[in-house]
Amino acid sequence: MALAGAAALVAMPAFTAASGVLNWGFLILLYTALAQSWNLLGGFGGQVNLGHAAFFGIGALATRILWLHGMAVFAALPAGTAAAAAAGLVIGAPGLRLRGPYFAVGTLAVAEILRITVGNILPEVSSLPAARLAAYAIAPRYYLALGLAACVTITARMLAHSRFGYGLAAMREDEEVAEAIGVSTFRYKLLAFIISSGFAGAAGGVFGYYHLSFYPQFAFNPVWTFDALLITFLGGVGTVWGPLAGAVVFLLLREVLALRLVELHLLIFGVLFILIVVALPGGFVEAWRSLPVMRRELVREASNSVADSVRRRRRSP
Amino acid sequence: MTVRPEPFAPHRVQGTLLQVEGLCKAFGGLRAVDDLSFELTEGEILGLLGPNGSGKTTVFNLIAGALRADAGRVRLSGRDITRHPASIRTRLGIARTFQLVRPLPHLTALDNVLVAQLFGRGGGPLRPEARDASRRLLDLVGLGAKTSVPGVNLTLVERKRLEIARALATHPRVLLLDEPLGGLNATEVETALALFRKIRADAITLVIVEHNVPAVRSLCDRLIVLNSGRRIAEGKPDEALARPEVIEVYLGR
Ligand SMILES: Nc1ncnc2c1ncn2[C@@H]1O[C@H](COP(=O)(O)OP(=O)(O)OP(=O)(O)O)[C@@H](O)[C@H]1O
Ligand SMILES: [Mg+2]
Repeated sequence: MALAGAAALVAMPAFTAASGVLNWGFLILLYTALAQSWNLLGGFGGQVNLGHAAFFGIGALATRILWLHGMAVFAALPAGTAAAAAAGLVIGAPGLRLRGPYFAVGTLAVAEILRITVGNILPEVSSLPAARLAAYAIAPRYYLALGLAACVTITARMLAHSRFGYGLAAMREDEEVAEAIGVSTFRYKLLAFIISSGFAGAAGGVFGYYHLSFYPQFAFNPVWTFDALLITFLGGVGTVWGPLAGAVVFLLLREVLALRLVELHLLIFGVLFILIVVALPGGFVEAWRSLPVMRRELVREASNSVADSVRRRRRSP
Repeated sequence: MTVRPEPFAPHRVQGTLLQVEGLCKAFGGLRAVDDLSFELTEGEILGLLGPNGSGKTTVFNLIAGALRADAGRVRLSGRDITRHPASIRTRLGIARTFQLVRPLPHLTALDNVLVAQLFGRGGGPLRPEARDASRRLLDLVGLGAKTSVPGVNLTLVERKRLEIARALATHPRVLLLDEPLGGLNATEVETALALFRKIRADAITLVIVEHNVPAVRSLCDRLIVLNSGRRIAEGKPDEALARPEVIEVYLGR
């Protein structure tokens, strides 16, 4: 089934002339890549980075500037990716000394400082020159997004079944225990942060190559971070397919909500996010997988904790 | 079946494995560990006793690297590890269990042990052998039927066993057991004691913190008794427990 899906995605541009459909496909793939890049550190490693937009922005800006200055996109995109990964190293090395909420707030602050700085240095809108506009086609953008989404998803899949992934999982579950069983938590955090930033930069780069005209500051807007989070939690945080599932649901919802309830849709997304975190912490992917198991687990958990407390009471002197 | 299925040669040499010198740790104004020194001989079972709050767990945290000492040194085989992070100490051969059990809640029992197997001393890549070794350790502690149960769904007794299996999976030279018998019934205590003897027979040196005095008496070669972070007695179990200072601390309040 996955194979058929992949074939359909690859063949899509050949069957549809409507650029609207390809645009949709592009957005789903771009958001999948962005959300998965957040998920690599946040979902698998449990480190909540609220400054993800900064790396998206760095990748977008670097790629776009290099490309508009004549570099081939196949060179500009890796350069943008590398710039974002390098920024990940520079910000992560001190930032990851902070824990939990401090790390989250710290990354948010750094990203906002970067956004404001970029707005001051580059206040002009970045538009494609006429020659570029004339040559513009959606298909190559679509394929780039497809390739990137595939790369990030494959990385997540490899991670989930690797030693590195086990180290991240232990760290996410309990950092002190992870250290106690030999996981160098700081090293693993930093490595995951760099990979996550790099992929966010790549997603930014694809966006910079795709979008006709935007203010550089816009690529640093925190909305990229929050969309990535919302998508990841919708689909299933820490899962391989969650970001893809979440991106589809998110874009459909956004389309419907933004058309009908222009003013309210941000509020609705906020409420939805909280509902998901509280009621469906595993997201759609987990909910789907565990539907038949869930009731049984609930019963077992309850009986276990009762048995435990009885036992403890019986044993206490 | 052995506790350590890996190819390490057992250390049969009788020598000093761990040295603690002038260890101090204060929390605010409270001296939890106060100028404590002792040595651990390879292959022995040392009991660390003392009333609640006397600093036993803090000593473990200082040896394992979960806390930084204010003063003093910790040496493993002569090597100064006082400034090493916990993960490096684990890879050098110090493992510990947690008094308040801490399974990795959303990982299965098998994965809990497997991570330790992959990252502990002599750990390596994710191969089927690592998984087999982890499964054998779960069998050893009596959790063979629980391999795919997530940590959160284990009972207290099962979690205590998982703590031990996970610590063993790091292939320790020294194993620090923090109240491993708390909450166990008489039969479970007997099983656990047999397991500890077996672990020792596999050349792992044990330090055990335990309030169960009969168990400690039968298991340990030597005791150190703490009170307010200081050593008040040391010696063979019968001797140490008969000391007036110890009797006073335990009964005199
Ligand atoms: N992280 C900490 N922060 C502040 N105080 C602490 C901390 N850890 C321990 N203490 C205090 O240090 C003292 C020694 O605690 P510790 O846990 O080492 O005692 P213990 O001998 O293990 O006790 P128990 O038998 O109850 O487990 C206690 O008074 C405790 O309240
Ligand atoms: Mg204690």
